[in-house]
This record gives sequence, structure tokens and C-alpha cells, in this order.
Amino acid sequence: MTFFLRAISLVRLFFFLGLVIVSLGILSGIFLIFYLAGDLPKLPSPLSRIIETPQSLIYASTGQVIMGLGERKAVPLEMVSKDFINAIVATEDHLFFEHHGMNKLRTLKGLYITLFDPDKVQGASTITQQLAKNLFFSFEQSWRRKFKEMLVALQIEAANTKEEILNAYINQIHFGAGAQGIENASQTFFGKPALELDLAEASLLAGLPKSPTNYNPFRHYDRALKRRDIVLERMAVAGFISHPEAQKISATRPQLHKGRMDSRSGSYFLDALIKELIQIYGEDVVFHGGIRVYSTLDTRLQSFARDALTQGLDQLDTLMGLDPGEKDRPQGALVAIDTGSGAIKAMVGGRDYYASEFNRAMDSRRQAGSGFKPFVYYTAFQKKGVHPGTRMTDKPVLIKIPGAKDWEPQNFEKRFNGNMILKNAFAQSVNTIAAQLVGMTGPEAVTAMARACGVKSPLEDVYSVALGTSAVSPLDMAGAFSVFANLGVKHDPFLFWRVEDAFGRVLFERIVQNKNVLESGVTFQVLDMMKEVVDTGSGRSIRSLGFGRPAAGKTGTTDNYNDAWFTGFTPSLCVSVWTGFDKKKRLKDTNGIGITGGRGAAPIWAEFMINAMKGEPERDFAIPDNIRFEAVDPVTGCAPKSTGPSIVVPLKTNQAPCGREEK
Amino acid sequence: MIQNWYDPFTAGELWRRIFSFLNLGVLFITLAFGASEFRFDWCERLVGTYLLTTNDTRPETGAVWESGRQTSNAHKSLNQIITRREDTRRSAQSAESFSHLAGSLRPGEWVPLDKDLFKVLYLSLSASAGRKVIDPSHLVWLLNGKTTDRIFCEGQADGVKLYFIDSQNRVIHQIDLKKNAIVEIESGNAPLKVQLKEIEAFAGRIFPAEKFFDAVLKLPTEMISELMVDPDLLLKQNGTIQQVGIWNEAENGYIKLGFEFEYRGENQVLLIQAREWAVWQLSLLLKAEPQ
Repeated sequence: MTFFLRAISLVRLFFFLGLVIVSLGILSGIFLIFYLAGDLPKLPSPLSRIIETPQSLIYASTGQVIMGLGERKAVPLEMVSKDFINAIVATEDHLFFEHHGMNKLRTLKGLYITLFDPDKVQGASTITQQLAKNLFFSFEQSWRRKFKEMLVALQIEAANTKEEILNAYINQIHFGAGAQGIENASQTFFGKPALELDLAEASLLAGLPKSPTNYNPFRHYDRALKRRDIVLERMAVAGFISHPEAQKISATRPQLHKGRMDSRSGSYFLDALIKELIQIYGEDVVFHGGIRVYSTLDTRLQSFARDALTQGLDQLDTLMGLDPGEKDRPQGALVAIDTGSGAIKAMVGGRDYYASEFNRAMDSRRQAGSGFKPFVYYTAFQKKGVHPGTRMTDKPVLIKIPGAKDWEPQNFEKRFNGNMILKNAFAQSVNTIAAQLVGMTGPEAVTAMARACGVKSPLEDVYSVALGTSAVSPLDMAGAFSVFANLGVKHDPFLFWRVEDAFGRVLFERIVQNKNVLESGVTFQVLDMMKEVVDTGSGRSIRSLGFGRPAAGKTGTTDNYNDAWFTGFTPSLCVSVWTGFDKKKRLKDTNGIGITGGRGAAPIWAEFMINAMKGEPERDFAIPDNIRFEAVDPVTGCAPKSTGPSIVVPLKTNQAPCGREEK
Repeated sequence: MIQNWYDPFTAGELWRRIFSFLNLGVLFITLAFGASEFRFDWCERLVGTYLLTTNDTRPETGAVWESGRQTSNAHKSLNQIITRREDTRRSAQSAESFSHLAGSLRPGEWVPLDKDLFKVLYLSLSASAGRKVIDPSHLVWLLNGKTTDRIFCEGQADGVKLYFIDSQNRVIHQIDLKKNAIVEIESGNAPLKVQLKEIEAFAGRIFPAEKFFDAVLKLPTEMISELMVDPDLLLKQNGTIQQVGIWNEAENGYIKLGFEFEYRGENQVLLIQAREWAVWQLSLLLKAEPQ
């Protein structure tokens, strides 16, 4: 009896003690509510106001929208696939239609874990709580933030119907790849409206909000499919679909929208564009002003550029004997500029934007090697009266530099070929002759000339500038070489044509201005030598790869094979390609031989240009009126012997071969 | 065994105590409270409804409000840009002279300019002054041919740049008008309050009016009309011509002639443009006659 009595007393004691604790808990809760209520954010009314932010749109030069900034293209629930609604509810909050903002059992579990395992803050968020968090709170994990989030969720539930809440939720969640809201996500990943999503696509999308970056199907397709299987399983458990149906769908692989993928690969371009817009207009206008930006990007060329660079770098991996899984692989960059205007038509700043957002096309500065020689030759032609037919000698050279060690440049092949005309010296990229030329002009004149052509990277006035020891970006090179393509007319490279506000009022409009920075006759002489590089010189791999149009360019390889360049142009398009490691490391093939610009970068250039120029009318470079052509002996620069070799050089009206300058 | 005074003495009393109204009441209320909450979520509703009543007094904080503020800032910035541009545009469109146009644009500001307005501004200048801006035959081609799509004006620190652009937004002709040059062009027709002998460029080439016009009238008629491009400027000038000077330098096929007028006891020099080749012919006649 006594034991029984004691047991009863204990039960009663625990009951009342529990009651007191619960009562205290309730009182504390009430206190907290009053305490925190004043600090809670105000809820917009109606809730649909949250999706009224105007989007800024970026258009390609071909007219299609390539990116929406701050974009929330809201659609009503009726315009969203039922499969997606079911999938998102099953995955994120299967009791959504039953609770009133919080799932009490999950919350109690979360509270228990939070109290007894403080290192681990347990999430128990319903869709409404997620909406509250996304709208008002940071991602800081704390009980205070969770409690506030819960209170706001309760208010959201009190003020809105379930449909309104779900509608707000699906229109503002992030799906990755810059897509916010289901309509954008559907368009981004599948190129169709959200209403037309089938179960396979809908379930894939419903899995993304958990971790948009990790499950990004463009980048981690298989990972996204595994996540989709979890979504399908939850849909089956929640009774939205049957298990066999889930298994059947699980075996399918939805086709991603390739067009969007192409424009997305322009992210290096878009990053650069957005950065420039922010500098001009500020972040608020760019992301929240609903502006329309008409960019210079040509999505077709961008796609070719991405493919050419990816393919070229893969080939480089093979050449170097690198495994596909190797972490330390060479990088690359490609910039294509419309020579007639300076518009940047394509830009790829690395082999994978998602692996590295560093834009090597604009922000990386690497030594250009022989790629700098056109500036050296132009300066010498203009200032010292030499020309492509002038004879010089490839020999050991020692240039005395006041206050510094004498400079003794070496040829790439470590041998000297004696007399030769400058056209051949250029095509064969003879370093000793370039050094003699810069010795004649002085390095200051060469760097001044490069700057006049638009090279913006800092250049050192040193003699070794002849061999491209100053670091430049691929954009610098493409912009500066465009001047040669235009026979001395410079256009500054740019990323957008026009900016309008949401009402079509013009904020900015680009006008294309010709700036004559080089003398056309001399420019043509250099251009002609650059044609020789492509036809027979260090860039001849371009011809062997099948690019037969009139083209000119220059390879560039640094001494230690750290950088391999090719910058070349047709009359309408100028393209610079760089390859190399981010860290200073040699590009060498499996035989240990260094990879030159002709082997590493020129194939990428050729692949891109073959595709880019398809359908374009073929045209040659214009020849200035003051230019005539004469055949000369490639060694002496004098009239060729009747049986000997000859080479045609362009001469200005006051120039003559063999040192017989006309006055 | 000790019997506590508060222990029940019988089993019946024990059961009565266990199932007392108080115990049952508390238990029932507790269970009803819990069950009803789980069934009807009234706690959540109550809290939600309470928070609704305080909504208007709470701060507009959080990502969504921040986004709203940024949107508002963006609209303000855009409106400022547009308003400033519209003001500039209105000011430029109402310009009555090139100097007014240059004054309406701050450095870096640009506005499109109607072709017709440009014509009006151009035609307000004398033929010789207009020629300093752009050759009229070139302008005819630019404005009446198919090449020019629009004209853009861009303000500069020291004047204004006018771009004639085609439909591809390419500049096909550019006019740089420095403020000083504009003043000179527009006030070029105003006489200078000096005497010819005070202007060094006329030194050695100053002739009495009679002698000058005698020589002029000896020239073939078609050459006389070529000699003085804007004779109306001379007709408009008050006073009598005392002397005429020939500038020592040609510019773009023209040479300045200086006509010294005497009006109410004051001497003034009016500069007008004359064709170089006609002046050269005239000079031969003037040199042939004794001074």
C-alpha cells in the first residue's frame, strides 16, 4: 500500500512539476513573443509585393535575353506544373497544407537537439518558415533567429492563404545558375515555361533549392539526378505518385536547355559587364533598377569560343600527358573582338567558370613573348625607315644598358641564321633581330606605340620588351592587334552598346569612333609580315588545321614555356588566345619538349575561327594606296637572282629594296 | 510503519483523492489544452493574429525591405540621370547658337541633336563663318545624303563635339568646336575697334579704299563675286571705308580682307573672307599701280 501510495504521489509530483515547467515554458514563450515582437520585421502587404522587384535584363547582340539581374519572373500557381508543386511540397514540407506555419513535432525535436546538443542547431523549417527566412533573415544559425523566423511564419500564415504562401515561395526560391523563382528556373534549365514541366524535370528542379550550387545540373548532372531520386521517393511516400512511377521516372535523364548553357558560359563576359555597369551606375541601379543592357556578346561565337577552348585545352592535356582527373591542369582564355567597332563578341576567361571565376581574358597579365614583336617592328619601320625588305643579320647580340647588366638575347632555337630580310626575321620570330630593332628605337618608343594601340596593362620601358617581357592581358592583345587589322585605326574594346531604363529611355549609347593611331602604309607592312606568320611561319598550324581565309597573326611563347599565345585576325574579327598554368609552370609535352604558341594556342584559334567565320563572305585586307609590292631576295633584300628564291615585300612609295631608298 | 497524518486511511479515500475534481480538472484542462492545440493550432493562430496587430509599428528590416529600398534608390538614381538628360536635351534643342549649345552641355554630357536644328544653327552663321564649322558642300552630303542617321553632341571642358553618325552608330564626321573658336566664329562679323595699321598681319598690304576698289573693278565680273564671299556684311556696316588690308596668310583657300570703316569719328576693322586665287589676282593689279 505504502509503495503504491508513494508511486502515486511521485506520478502526481511529476505531473504537477511537468505542468509547472510547461506553464513556465509557455510564460517564457509569451514573454519572448512580447519581447521580440517589436523587433520583428514588418510584413509587406500583400505578400505578392515581394516579387515586384523589376529585373535588369542583359541582351546579347543577337537579341535574346542572356541574363536577368534580380530577376523574379513571378507566375501564379495555375501557371506552374502540378508535378512541381507536388514535388516541392513533398520534399520541403509534406504537411504544408495541414500545419499553421510550424510543424510542432519537428520543432520540438529541433528544440530538444538545440538544447541538449548546442553545437548542432536543428532545422525544422516548414515552407512558411523558409519563406520567412528568405524574406527577412540572414543565414546565421541561432535559436534567436529561428524563433523570430517562426514568429514571422505564424504571422504570414495568419495573413495569407496557403496558396498565396506557396505562390510566394516558389517564385522567390533560388535554383542556382542565377535562376530565382520557378519560371526562371524552368526557362534556364529546360527552356520551357514552368507549366510545361513534366514529372522528371519537375522533380529535378524541386531538388535544387536544398543546395543550388552543389546540385547545379549544368555542372553536376549526376549529383542532381541523385537528389531527384530522393525527391521522387518522398513524392511516393507522400502519395503523390506510386513507387513504380517513381522508379520509372528515376531511370530517365531530362535534357537540359543547351542554349541557356551557352549563354551561361558567357559568365566571364557577364561578370566583366556587370562589374563595369556597377562602376558606372552603382549596384542599386544594376540589380534593382530594371535597366536593359544591350551587350556586344554574340551567343553563337561565345558558344564556339567555349567549345574551342575546352577542346583545345583537352588536347593540350593529352599532349602533356595529363589525366582528365588531374587537378593541376593548364588554363586558357580567348577574346574575340569585332575589328570594325571594338565590340567584344566572345570572351572565355578560363576552362571552367564554376571551378574558377578568375577572368584570365581580362584580369590576368602574362608575358606576351614574341607576340609583342609587331609593336617593335612597327616602331622601327616608322622611326628608323627600315621596311620588310631591309636586310639585317641574325647574330649574337649584346646590348649595353646604362646602369644595368648587358643584355644578350638568345634565339628560341639557340642558333643564328645570318643575313635575312625583316619579313623573314618576323615570320621566323628571330629574337636577336627584334633586339637590334629595339636597340635602334629604344624601348620607350615601343611601349608608347603599344599604348597607342590600346594596351592598358603597365609596360616597362626595358629593352627586353622586344621579346615581350611585359605582362599583358589577352584583351590587351586582341584590342591592340585590331589596330593592325584596321590599318592603323583604333577602336577601344567595349562590352555593351546601349543601356536603357525600364521605359526605354536611353541612359547610354555607344558610338563607334575611328581613331587613327598608326600610319596605314607602315601598318600594312607589319600586317603583311603577320600574314606570313600564318601562312609559313610559326603560326602555320592554322593553315594545316584547315583555316584558309586571309588571316594574320603572331605567336608568342615565353622563354620558359610558361605561356603560349596566338593573337590573330581576319579583316573583321581579331582573336587572342592564351594558354598556360595559373602558377608559373612549364607547358611541356610528354617528351619534355616545351609547347609553343603555335602548338598550344594556335589550334584553339583555328578551331574557333573556322566556326566563327562560317557563312561570312571571304575578304582580304585592304591595301593602302602608297603600297606597292616587289620581289626581293630573302637573304640580301636585293633583286632576286633569276634562278634564286624570292619573296614579295610591300614597300611604301618612298622605299626601295636593297637600301636604294627613293627620295 | 509510520502513518503520516496526510496519508489516506483507506483505499477508497485514496481513489477519491486520485480522482478528485481538482486532479481530474487539471488533467482534463491540460489534455484539452494540448489536444486542441494540436488539432486547431490556436496558439499559432493567436500569436499570428497578435503579430498582425503590431505589424504597422514594426521596422522595415530584412532582405525583402532592403531590396525594396535598393529598388527605390535605383529609381531615384535613374530618374536623376533621366531628368538631367532631359533638361540638357531641352536646353540643347532650344539653343539659338553654337555657343548656347556648348554652354548647355557639361563635360561628358551628350544629347542627340535634330538635323534640322543643326541646319538652323549653321544657317544663322554667315557663309564664311559657317565654312569654319564645316564646308557647306560636305554638310549638304552629310545632312541630305543617306549617310547621317543622327547627330550627337558631347560636352567638353573647352567646347563641344558634334558627331554625325550612321545607322550603325559609327562616326562618319566629327566637328570639334572649342569655346574660343565658337566665339570667334559667331562674333567674327563684328568689327574690331582698331585701325588696320595696328594689326601686324596686314603690315605692308594696306591700300587706300579708292585704289583697292579701282583694282577690284578691273577684275572680271565673275572674279569679283568670288573675291568677296560675303559682300552683304560690308553693306550692313555703318560708316565709310577708309582703307583695305590683305592678311599675310591663307587658310583653307581663303585670305582675310580687312576693311577699315570710319563711323562717327571712330575707326573699326571688319574682317571678311576672300578667295585666295582671286586675292592673288587682285594683288597683282594693286602692285602694278603706284601706291
